[in-house]
Amino acid sequence: MNKFKILDSLIKLIFYLTLVIGMFFENNLAQNTTDFCLKCHKANGDKAAVMFTKDIHYEMGVSCADCHGGDQSKSNMGEAMSEKNNFIGVPKGNRISELCSQCHSDEYQNLINSVHGKLTIKGDQIITQCITCHGIHNILRKEDKNSNVNALNVAKICAGCHSNIAYIKKYNPELPTDQYEKYLTSKHGILNSKKDPKAASCVSCHGSHEIRNVNDVKSKVYASNLPEVCSVCHSDSQYMKDYKIPTDQYDKYIGSVHGIALLKKGDLAAPSCNDCHGNHGAAPPGVESISKVCGICHALNAELFAKSPHKKAFDTLNKPECETCHGNHEIIVGTDQLIGNTKGTICYQCHNENQNVEGFIVAGKMRAILDSLVKLEETTVKLITDAEQKGMEVSEAKFKLRDIRQAKLETRTIIHAFNFDTFEKTSNNALSLIYDVKSLGEKAVNEYYFRRWGLLAATAIISVLAITLFIYIKKLEKKSNGK
Amino acid sequence: MKPNIWRRFYYWLDERIQFEDLIRFAAKKYVPVHSHSLWYYFGGVTLFLFIIQVVTGILLLLYYKGNEDLAFESIRYIMTEVEFGWLIRSIHSWSANLMILAAFIHMFSVFFTKAYRKPREITWLTGMVMLFLALGFGFSGYLLPWNELAFFATKVGTDIVGVIPLIGKPIQIFLRGGEDVTGATLSRFFGFHVAILPGIFTIFLFIHLLLVQRQGMSLPMEIVPEKAMKTMPFFPNFLLRDLLLWLIVLNILAILAVLYPWELGVKADPFAPAPAGIKPEWYFMFMFQTLKYIPAHIWIFDGEVVGVLLFIIAGVLWTLIPFWDKKTARGEKNLLINYLGLFCILYIILLTILGYLS
Amino acid sequence: MNQSRRSFLKYILGGSLIAFIGAVLYPVIAFLKPPKSKSVEISSIKVCKVNDLPNDSGLIFKFGNKPGILVRTPKGDFRAFDATCTHLDCTVQYKKDMGVIWCACHNGKYDLNGRNISGPPPRPLIPFKVIVQGDEIFVSKQL
Repeated sequence: MNKFKILDSLIKLIFYLTLVIGMFFENNLAQNTTDFCLKCHKANGDKAAVMFTKDIHYEMGVSCADCHGGDQSKSNMGEAMSEKNNFIGVPKGNRISELCSQCHSDEYQNLINSVHGKLTIKGDQIITQCITCHGIHNILRKEDKNSNVNALNVAKICAGCHSNIAYIKKYNPELPTDQYEKYLTSKHGILNSKKDPKAASCVSCHGSHEIRNVNDVKSKVYASNLPEVCSVCHSDSQYMKDYKIPTDQYDKYIGSVHGIALLKKGDLAAPSCNDCHGNHGAAPPGVESISKVCGICHALNAELFAKSPHKKAFDTLNKPECETCHGNHEIIVGTDQLIGNTKGTICYQCHNENQNVEGFIVAGKMRAILDSLVKLEETTVKLITDAEQKGMEVSEAKFKLRDIRQAKLETRTIIHAFNFDTFEKTSNNALSLIYDVKSLGEKAVNEYYFRRWGLLAATAIISVLAITLFIYIKKLEKKSNGK
Repeated sequence: MKPNIWRRFYYWLDERIQFEDLIRFAAKKYVPVHSHSLWYYFGGVTLFLFIIQVVTGILLLLYYKGNEDLAFESIRYIMTEVEFGWLIRSIHSWSANLMILAAFIHMFSVFFTKAYRKPREITWLTGMVMLFLALGFGFSGYLLPWNELAFFATKVGTDIVGVIPLIGKPIQIFLRGGEDVTGATLSRFFGFHVAILPGIFTIFLFIHLLLVQRQGMSLPMEIVPEKAMKTMPFFPNFLLRDLLLWLIVLNILAILAVLYPWELGVKADPFAPAPAGIKPEWYFMFMFQTLKYIPAHIWIFDGEVVGVLLFIIAGVLWTLIPFWDKKTARGEKNLLINYLGLFCILYIILLTILGYLS
Repeated sequence: MNQSRRSFLKYILGGSLIAFIGAVLYPVIAFLKPPKSKSVEISSIKVCKVNDLPNDSGLIFKFGNKPGILVRTPKGDFRAFDATCTHLDCTVQYKKDMGVIWCACHNGKYDLNGRNISGPPPRPLIPFKVIVQGDEIFVSKQL
């Protein structure tokens, strides 16, 4: 134990000693080589030079000449800024970013592969240079509160172009320009305005140098990539500790009907996080707006629901509309088990023997009809499969099974009107369709037995003929032998 | 009264056709009766199945469409919409297979009883040609439903033809009607199946039957012809027995066709990958399986080429047997031929079983 | 005695022969009878006559074993699509009041070019080719 302490102190001592000696020498060197660029330009009151002394690059030992060329050790102005010494003056166009890339090569590569590196101004320079976002001569670490690209400032920098309608129209006419305004109304934007650096800003979702078009499969905000991007923060319980919201949305979502459609089946029309919460204006939808959000896709259900007695009841009771029955992030494929008048069904939570009895009765009736529909369909499918396995051609009946499926879907949809009469009308239609197909299946099975009996008759006839012929031949031969 | 009408009708016909000659000819014809008489019937069975093929084939022709887009659907239409279409198609398919089987039995029975020997060389030759034509019927008819299995079997089958040196490739292109198996192949196979092959087959069948009638039944070599040998008149005894057997075959055919209807499968998709377990028709199986066992290279030759050439040589030698089997021709017993035939049968059975097991 | 047995045999033989001929001929004749539904034409089918379908209306037809939809636009053009909704395989229909192809199951809407414009459908409808020959409309699978 003691031994280690001594060793530890010794290492520390050597470390500090080296540091002090090093600083001494470095000071000496710096004194020996005066940076005449900075000296004169500062003396002249050149703003750039004054600003640069606070720049992170100055702090790290980058000199004016490293970007502008020339020889900083020459006191003579003509000589220092001569072409012989590779003086380039103010870099123009792509040269700017290329100069940065001498040290920041990875960032530069990402930039030129990004959407900002692909778009050009008049074909000869990329639309966004490093300095567009990071500034010139006043570049600071992104952790610094005064940095352009600090989490609290970066949105304003992006908005500089992206909120400029005339500018955006010129380079990407279909791109909206209201992202920043929307952002300010979002939960992320509000927290950001309250100087919370943990709240998401533009770069949290879009990335920084590597920003790609939303339709680019490599984009962080490509529909199927987005849920994971959101989950970086929202599934991190440590990170989200102060906000007192759950962190299981992502896990629930990936198991939901929407998550499976988007992430497993690759159906890009399936909703990602942003389709319900908004993207730049991300916020949880309120009680009354849920059916509007779901209704974007499930339009008929929403329309039916809006006219149903439940609409008013749910809003008054402060129950989130679709969510009350279907859940939110974990939405699974709706089943008939949701509806009914027994314990465990959703209806039963509000409609039971003692309260809201009318709904209790109707829910029971609807469930009974739905169950009988499913059962009938099952037997019909079985009948047709049976006929098919017996070698009968039932492609016509199978074709009509589609209609049954459709009628069943319609019946399930009409539930959202929560009106027994309309429900019954639709379900009766489905029932009559099923009976039609069932009779086709029965016909096929009957045909099968007809073939069997036909065969029996035919073989009987052939056998009788064969036997009598045999007897006849025997007789004939007996006769001729007798001769 | 009734017999009178029939009799008068008979006389009326007789005056014009002169049945007397025919009857006299038939009455003179005797079929020898001995321990191997059973084999005489298989030629007749093959003929009967061929007649069924012609009748059902013509019926199917009324609804079938030999076109890439419609072939599959038209057969489904025959099987579902047309009354008894399922039966006609099923009988056509089953009868085709039974016919090949009967033809093989007929061929081997002739082989073992050495019935090919002088003066029946031409009968043997025409029979062999008809056997090959029957295989051609099978191969071309198999593709007509244009289902997945048939499509790929045809592809593989014509691929094998293509490996024959020099003439293989031109024949392959001729058969396929192009570089690949396409709708053009279907049209072609349809033409072969319903026009070209039946035309050629009919000529050979005519010669074959004519010679059988002219020369009568051959006696196996083991049976020494005696003066008092048991015989049976061809007409009506043998013919009625023939008919009896035909009825039994028809019964079997009906039972097979109804209880085991021939499946249609799924429509061929030329761009789909080949499904697992492509198998040719059973009567090609032994050749298919043999080609699988032959190593890729034999000395400096390609294994498949060697295999195909061997089969061709074997087929030619087999067909020409009346001309090189001198010993039998001299009337001596030639056991070598028997062993050779036995080997072939065992080989075919073994390889076919192996083909279905693998 | 013998005589009657022989004639009995003859009667059975003749009777069963007639029954046999009947058993063979019945299926054959039934086979020859043209079926009610027209024979198959799958790659292209005749849907209806031009005059059968007024402007601004639609028609569902059977195309092989799938439904197809033929739409006549308000301007009188013909368009045909696979009528299977790309969402959950329901059959779509032409909705005159909205001027769109509409799926009743979840209110999916497609414009008259088959493009999914609202509701849950993830993809456009599969288009078919419409050929007008004289006054008859044929629909074929697009190549």
